[in-house]
Amino acid sequence: MTEYLYEKDLRPLKYNVIIGKRQDQTVREMAALLGIRIQKLRLLLIERLDMSNLENMPARFEAGLSAMDSKDPIADALGRDLFVRYVQVFTKSEMEAAYARARSLADGGLAHDDAVGEGKAMLREVISP
Amino acid sequence: MKRTVDVAVPLGPVHPCWKEPIRIKCETKGELVYNTEVELGYMKKGIERIMQGRPWQEVMFLAERVCGICSVVHNMVFTETMEAISGIAPPERAALLRVIVNELDRIQSHLIANFSYCYTIEHETIGMYLLNEREHAMDMIEMITGNRVNTAYMIPGGVRYDLQPEDENTLRTTLDLLERNIRRYTQMFEDGPMIGLRSRGVGVLTRDEALEAHAVGPTARASGIDVDMRTSHPTYQKLDFKPIIRTECDNYARIMVRFEEIIQSINLIRKALSMKSDGLVRGGGICQGGEMRYSGEAPRGELTYFVKADRYGRVEEIAIQTPSIMNIDACSHYMLKRARSIADVTSSFISSDPCVACTER
Repeated sequence: MTEYLYEKDLRPLKYNVIIGKRQDQTVREMAALLGIRIQKLRLLLIERLDMSNLENMPARFEAGLSAMDSKDPIADALGRDLFVRYVQVFTKSEMEAAYARARSLADGGLAHDDAVGEGKAMLREVISP
Repeated sequence: MKRTVDVAVPLGPVHPCWKEPIRIKCETKGELVYNTEVELGYMKKGIERIMQGRPWQEVMFLAERVCGICSVVHNMVFTETMEAISGIAPPERAALLRVIVNELDRIQSHLIANFSYCYTIEHETIGMYLLNEREHAMDMIEMITGNRVNTAYMIPGGVRYDLQPEDENTLRTTLDLLERNIRRYTQMFEDGPMIGLRSRGVGVLTRDEALEAHAVGPTARASGIDVDMRTSHPTYQKLDFKPIIRTECDNYARIMVRFEEIIQSINLIRKALSMKSDGLVRGGGICQGGEMRYSGEAPRGELTYFVKADRYGRVEEIAIQTPSIMNIDACSHYMLKRARSIADVTSSFISSDPCVACTER
């Protein structure tokens, strides 16, 4: 999010957007996918997304889910495209670090769920250090 | 952390090109705009909250007050949502009358969108011509429904009023006039060198970007995405409806899609008039409880209603996803990023036909 010299505090307005019925449902779904608390995710979203992005978050989330092609199960489970390109929760480098960790563990013989769990743990560190 | 840019240009909330208050903050380097952010919150109505706990008879009137330009489609989608929940189907004549009024509404909405664009790029002559044509469409809506803006024409199980034979003749004559004039103005828009210079290659939204932001309606169709909710509507399927697609992905494509859709709407109305048979326009039925997600095609794109009603038809929960939410996002995060000047920001924004009243419900 860009900060301008003349900027006012938009957090109350953004909070009003994010607790709308559809937005709230989406935040809960995302929190469940990542295994984190809703309030922590809300805070990150308010910090990282602008108001039009927050309004459009449910539609972007649905578009991201439908674009998953199941070619790379680890990428899909971590939401590599979903949480970077569609809903911009994480930066590309944050997601790539988590993906690389999960991928290396899976290639090393760890079970899929455990490897994804390790990747998600890295993502949770970003949200709630 | 405060960040200083070359020049931070705020456009709005009150701006001569905006129909409604919205603020676009542009980060510029020289004339180049390299980042923009949209600030909302100047006209939040809280209409979804007002709807909660009210019976459908009241919510129906509130729904069409979400937007003053495409009020008919809000009325239609809410009504069809209640019908889908309750298992009610309108009689065939009523279904075709709904299509006629909905397409007239699309014509006037597209005309005001293209007027705004022409006005923004300071081609006021075509702009004013288009506004004159819009009056014909508004008059037809008034003739059929009795009102110009908030018509409340559709009700669960049918429509309120029938179309009189003498009105049908007036409608056909007006459609002929509209088609002749719109074709002329479309030609002027296509051939005009100034319009071309300000529109072609400006505000590009690629297909992938449109998919990412879930852009809808003419904004998506101008980026080559074949999406139109009318294709899945049972009445439109009878009318053999095919969406209009362009692939230029720029401002010019978005305006031309709207011009082509106006002609398509005129033909759809003609087809509906010829298919319409005698019969009831109000079939009746009782609204019941249930939960439903239902989408229809508004002039700006996919309009979705999520309604949860109790067994008396009282709306317990409601959420409205309007097309402008997606299109404003696509505009601010992709189209405007490559703007070569601030003047292109206003024209690109208007080319996506933003409706702040819808976005801030």
